[in-house]
Amino acid sequence: MKTLTKMLLVANLLTSTSVFAQSETYQSAMKKGLELLSIAKTSESFVGTANHFERIAMAESQNWMPLYYSAYANLVAGLVSEDPNQKDQYFDKALSQIERATVMSPDNSEIYTVKGYAQFMKMSVDPQSRFALIGDSNASLGKAKQLDPQNPRPYFVQGQNTFYTPEAFGGGKSAAKKLLEEAVKKYDTYKAIADLAPSWGNERAKMLLAQCQ
Amino acid sequence: MMKTLLLLLIAISLTGITQAQTRITGTVSTEKGLPLANVNIMIKNSYDGTSSDSTGHFSFNSEASGVQVVLFSSINYSTDSVKIEMNGTVVELHLKLKEGYNELDVVTITAGVFEAGDSRKGAVLTSLDIATTAGGTADIFAALQTLPGTQTSFSESGLFVRGGSASEAKTFFDGMLVKTPFNTSLPDQASRGRFSPFLFKGTSFSAGGYSAQYGQALSSALMLESKDIPEKTTTALSVLSVGASADQTSRFKNSALTVGGFYYNLKPAFSIIKQHTDWDKAPEQYGGTLQYKLKTSKTGMFKWYSETSHSLIAAFKTNPDEPQVKSYLKNNNKNTYLNTSYQEFLGSKWKLQGGLSYSNNHDEGQTGDDIYGRTDRLLQGRVTLNNYFGSSSTLKFGTETFMFKRQENLNDLHRGYSDQLSAGYMETDLFVTRKLVFRLGLRTEYSTYINKFNLAPRSSLSYKTGKSSQVSLAYGRFYQNPEDSQLIIQPLDYELADHYIANFQNSTNQQTFRAEIYYKAYNQLAKNTPAYLDNSGHGYAKGLDIFWRDKKTFKGSDYWISYSYLDTKRDFKDYPTLSVPPFAAKHTLNVVYKKFFDKLDSQVGATYTFASGRTYVNPNNPVYLADETKTYNNLSMNVSYLTHIFKKFTVIYVSANNIPGFKNIYGYHYSASGQYRQAVKPAAARDIFVGLLMTIGDDTFVR
Repeated sequence: MKTLTKMLLVANLLTSTSVFAQSETYQSAMKKGLELLSIAKTSESFVGTANHFERIAMAESQNWMPLYYSAYANLVAGLVSEDPNQKDQYFDKALSQIERATVMSPDNSEIYTVKGYAQFMKMSVDPQSRFALIGDSNASLGKAKQLDPQNPRPYFVQGQNTFYTPEAFGGGKSAAKKLLEEAVKKYDTYKAIADLAPSWGNERAKMLLAQCQ
Repeated sequence: MMKTLLLLLIAISLTGITQAQTRITGTVSTEKGLPLANVNIMIKNSYDGTSSDSTGHFSFNSEASGVQVVLFSSINYSTDSVKIEMNGTVVELHLKLKEGYNELDVVTITAGVFEAGDSRKGAVLTSLDIATTAGGTADIFAALQTLPGTQTSFSESGLFVRGGSASEAKTFFDGMLVKTPFNTSLPDQASRGRFSPFLFKGTSFSAGGYSAQYGQALSSALMLESKDIPEKTTTALSVLSVGASADQTSRFKNSALTVGGFYYNLKPAFSIIKQHTDWDKAPEQYGGTLQYKLKTSKTGMFKWYSETSHSLIAAFKTNPDEPQVKSYLKNNNKNTYLNTSYQEFLGSKWKLQGGLSYSNNHDEGQTGDDIYGRTDRLLQGRVTLNNYFGSSSTLKFGTETFMFKRQENLNDLHRGYSDQLSAGYMETDLFVTRKLVFRLGLRTEYSTYINKFNLAPRSSLSYKTGKSSQVSLAYGRFYQNPEDSQLIIQPLDYELADHYIANFQNSTNQQTFRAEIYYKAYNQLAKNTPAYLDNSGHGYAKGLDIFWRDKKTFKGSDYWISYSYLDTKRDFKDYPTLSVPPFAAKHTLNVVYKKFFDKLDSQVGATYTFASGRTYVNPNNPVYLADETKTYNNLSMNVSYLTHIFKKFTVIYVSANNIPGFKNIYGYHYSASGQYRQAVKPAAARDIFVGLLMTIGDDTFVR
């Protein structure tokens, strides 16, 4: 009996002390999340992915990245959803996660990009009464560009927003084309700093650009 | 040594066994037992967990052991947790999650109140709605007349709410009373409001039962909340068929300055559109505005708004006694208005709001052979403290003082009076649960001129009956000073009204339905006859207001319908007996329709208004105010075309009023003998208005 207690104690020590091991689990959990993100199709599967990243974020209270990905997955869950009430809830959730991520990493171009993206999509649920959010979105994306001029994603998001904005409201294909060209150029040269750093948007930027031609 | 090593080796080889995975499985549901999908279930401080499926089931394995906390989190539900012992045996959990505080799901006070704003919950109109309502021609007050409870006012400026006269509806700009919210008008003609709808981010229109923070209004309060700092440096130009205006906004790091000027002259328009009125000088107005907004800290804001304007108007009028004789009417108005406000959070629980406003409105002119002059001054100061407690409850208290001064002269006769009215108020919004809220308020006022205190209790409660529906009840007592024209003769007592309101609302993002019934009792109304002036007047108003707005049924289009039934009688001013006043049609119906056509880059809007006949005094009828005009009909349309001119964002706007040319009659003026009468008609049967608005420095629609 005594031996068993000792054994358990040792076992516990072994599993819980190794910093290396934890970082390994972090890496693999994040990679699994990115894989889930790449195969997700439905709103439910994006929420599942957001939940996966949220679980990592709960344990990693100082790391902005899992929270950032959870916000991004919630944003996409809202985009894919058909129900305007559900859309709103996912966008709100994404925006509240972005707020928390901003506290952890205040001057982060990627975080401001998702913020601007979510603000624009929230506007699109009810443009008539929320048109003021266009200004907020542009401000966030402007900040994202300013924080990292090499980051292609704020250009892509702004290009995409412009693409779907009627010409009469300052949008349209020709206005979007310039931004998307800039984005595609930056995607080609941009080197992600870290292994798990955001890399989304490239394919879609090219696809939208092709539609602008 | 050897023994220990051996033990260690065994331990390592055994980890797989001792770390046996524990399976956690179960279901999550709502309190009512409905399955909840997408709930995030996780072991605290680990990455382990899963999401519940569409039937609320979940199942996952974790290598954690010992006592652990399982967290359940989901949008719209309160996060819950369960402590479990993890030792390799299957743990089964069945949890019911409580609904969480989602802003959209929390009950709000809706009795009497119509919120209009851009990101506000419960808002029924946006500021853009106010600007683009057909027939409204970007006039806040005209757009509000498409809401239930309001009368279509055409022969007098102001809002006539639920049987109340125009003087019973007050306008507040950032909490401060606006003494003269309308441009000066000629008799029998309504005029526009002074403020552009684009100045405000939020509008709250209360048709009764409103907050103890506001007083001096017997029937209605319109609260206008000015916009915050504009984002960009821009220039806005507008060229209208009736004049032009320009605004230059300069954005600095923490502040913004806007300087604007305007000039309006209706003469060119009146030369094209046939006028019933015989104008000597078509309305002309010029003036300037200065606005400054400063972010004093992360949470502090200072706002300055000032405006000065000058307007001229002159016309010939006939009266039914001597239809051949034209008498001359002329008015010259100078108005200065200043509004400053400051707000700041004091810690996380307190907010301070303060304001100081000043207005000076001077009219002078001629009516027939008489020369008149009239000056109104108002200086107001106000301080409110807000305390936030509990999950959403608030306690507000504050004080304000108004210094009114009026001076009049007719030929060589002068008179005037001044009054200092001071008030204290206190109000709490108490959330008992997220479904039940009480608002309890108390307001007291003292007027030096009337030399009396008053005490006005206000209360409402709202209860959420379903996901998107709620009922509200309200009772309140409201006081106001009698009109200046009466007070200037002698001090009187306060006029008072008691409101009882019951409201039902069902509102989703796309659709809003409201029904409200009310009863109002008026007492101490000022009554004047040639012989006496006192507070012996009284009256009542009761009715039903219905509102339906729908953005869902017809794709891409948005419409609202409002209907008001009003039963009111009053004995006030010079009425000989309890009578139906002329500003109270029994039935009023508004249908407003808007659709944006993407291909045409245009928004088209139409407004149809119907009102049953109004009473008028016929001296041949022994019963006072017993005759009724025929019904009122109006169909207005507008088109806003969005385009770019010189690559600058531009809106071209055309608005046509009373397209079918309904011959509306507002009432009659009789000759003293009762033999002759004159119909009161609109200035023109039809009206058309063309405008071009251009924004430089911003390529989006956001100003």
